[in-house]
Amino acid sequence: MVKKTVRCPNCGKTTEIFGQPGEIKKVVCSSCFTEGKVTFEKTTYDSNAAIEVSALRKEYGELVAVNDISFKVKIGEVFAFLGPNGAGKTTTVEMIENIRQPTRGNIRILGKSIKTSFDDVKERIGILPQEFHSFERLTVRETLFYFSSLYKTNADIDGIINAMDLKDEENKLYKDLSGGLKQRVGVAISLVNNPEIVFLDEPSTGLDPKARREVWEVIASLRKKGKTVFLTTHYMEEAEFLADHIAIIHKGKIIAEGSLDELINKYGEGSVLRIKDCKSKEVINILQRSGFEVKKEKNGDIAVKIDYKERIIEVLSILKHECVEYGTIDIRRSNLEEIFLKLTGAKLSEADS
Amino acid sequence: MNFKFIKTDLKLGIRSWLRSKGTVFWTILFPILLIMIFGAIFSGVDEVSYDLVVQNLDEDADEDSFSASFITILKESGVFNVKEINKNTDMDEYLKDEDISTGLQIPEDFDEKLELYFVDQNVSINLTYFYDPTDSNTLGVVRSIIAGILDEFNNQMTQSKNVVGIDDKSILGQEFEFIDFFVPGMIGFTIMTSMVYGSIERNTKYRKDGILRKLLTMPVTRAEWILSKMLFMLFLSFISTFVIMLVGVLVWGLNFHINIFFFIIVICTSFMFSGLGMIIGRFVKEEETADMAGGAITFPMMFLAGTFFPLEQMPEFLQAIAQVLPLYYVNEGLRNAMIYANLEKTLYFTSFVIVFAVVFFLVGVFLTKWKED
Repeated sequence: MVKKTVRCPNCGKTTEIFGQPGEIKKVVCSSCFTEGKVTFEKTTYDSNAAIEVSALRKEYGELVAVNDISFKVKIGEVFAFLGPNGAGKTTTVEMIENIRQPTRGNIRILGKSIKTSFDDVKERIGILPQEFHSFERLTVRETLFYFSSLYKTNADIDGIINAMDLKDEENKLYKDLSGGLKQRVGVAISLVNNPEIVFLDEPSTGLDPKARREVWEVIASLRKKGKTVFLTTHYMEEAEFLADHIAIIHKGKIIAEGSLDELINKYGEGSVLRIKDCKSKEVINILQRSGFEVKKEKNGDIAVKIDYKERIIEVLSILKHECVEYGTIDIRRSNLEEIFLKLTGAKLSEADS
Repeated sequence: MNFKFIKTDLKLGIRSWLRSKGTVFWTILFPILLIMIFGAIFSGVDEVSYDLVVQNLDEDADEDSFSASFITILKESGVFNVKEINKNTDMDEYLKDEDISTGLQIPEDFDEKLELYFVDQNVSINLTYFYDPTDSNTLGVVRSIIAGILDEFNNQMTQSKNVVGIDDKSILGQEFEFIDFFVPGMIGFTIMTSMVYGSIERNTKYRKDGILRKLLTMPVTRAEWILSKMLFMLFLSFISTFVIMLVGVLVWGLNFHINIFFFIIVICTSFMFSGLGMIIGRFVKEEETADMAGGAITFPMMFLAGTFFPLEQMPEFLQAIAQVLPLYYVNEGLRNAMIYANLEKTLYFTSFVIVFAVVFFLVGVFLTKWKED
């Protein structure tokens, strides 16, 4: 059932009317009795999309925190929503989770509009809020049991404990766990209803590198189980390691979107092979004649852009054939940090602070 | 209604509470400690003697007079260090000058009226009891002992309890001691603090920890959440009330009247102060600041609402303030229900407690938001 508010063209009185998508309903103004028809548009949605966001906007007075953004998250993928602190990531994810009210825009989760059907959606999603801390004096098992009691489905607590590698900690109090284990429990809590979509808001923030890596392994295991993961992060390595699809948000706008390869090819330099301490002055011309994009850098290194991996062997063959003497060779791929720098003029880590 | 969740929340809430030794201490042992300390201070009459100034104005006073006999009984009680002053001394001035807080004046017609009593049994005589309202240490105790001695004197002299009485304005009845007054106040105070701080914790710490955000995305309604938490808070209220009463009975030999109003007041007080905590948590969002705000409201209320000493001992303007404090109605309601068994006053105070509970709780629920702006 969809609600529509219509204004009488004759007297201006507004009336609320309910109908099904695709239905045309007759409406009579209760004030001037003018008759008219209201069409409830058929809503179409992508059946492959776990989440669809269109023209989403959030304003706080004069400040536009999220500026008319649109994107889709496919079923079964890890979607990384990457951006510095204050870019609008958490505001966006909290609007999708129905925690915050959007100024305008539409959000569909598993084909259902959250404006009208969020109660149905709740049973099918699991959420780890940012900086989440559970009840300190409950054990891991009790915590999972507590949150599972909210759902209609009976959770397989033992299965979740094993899957999250929490067997040794199941009887420890939450307060006695390390930061990494707490986050792992947080992820485990988000799985108690066996959700189709898992939202993880900055799951590794504040963790040491080892604990962060453990959380990444857990997230990677969710993808293997076929879950859709919506991951917000300000760590580019996290997005690079985990994501099938990445959207970069900056100052409330999505500035780039695609798979890692797509982003690197579109916005980065691709892969670059660097020849260090090269003795030959002719090598640049030789490589250029073979169709390579080559340039000499300030430190004397010769940088050769590699479009696809077979061309690495081609470069090495040319160097061998021409008997070029050189020190070392280094092959480097563009990363998200460079893409962010190129798109915004600032480093992701600097924009963060 | 998700009863599975409500049951789990209550069960795990109690388990979690029992694991926090600090919280258990503040909820149960601290009030017991206070009762023991205050009870010992105010009720240790057997080992202590009190200064009592006695002025005999009786015109017929001589060695065989009733007034002289009464003074002898006072002296022989072993409780009082009796200091007699002559008829011309101003009692008020003397007490101030000597820094003594209690005095007893025997009226001019004491013997005459007692003799008259044997002819006309409608005659009655009142002694005047002088006291310093600021000295709460001795006030109630001395008054109670004099009343006890008078009972005995009346019995011996006239076989009646009604001939010689005390003329003063203290509210404390003759048969009650300070500890009777104190225990209901302690119950009110304990429920107030655990409800206010418990509610503040749920509304600030849980918000900071993301628990409220998480619940918002889970299939639980605000009504189910509040109901489950209130069941837990009621458990806390009754457990602490029970323990305080148990100590009162076992240590101080108190007798309580347990009636429906006692339960109504305990339940309504729990709702009332949970609501107050919600209101505080709504406006002061930082956990530490909210705790301080809770203290700023509950601490003065504890002293001003007649928890530890009768309102009559306070200056009039403070008594007027007490009349608007919800804890005052809780304390007085509990005293009248549990101790004095005064139905009329119990009804009066209970009705105020119910109104406060409804208003505070509804405003608290209305103001508490899960959803962010």
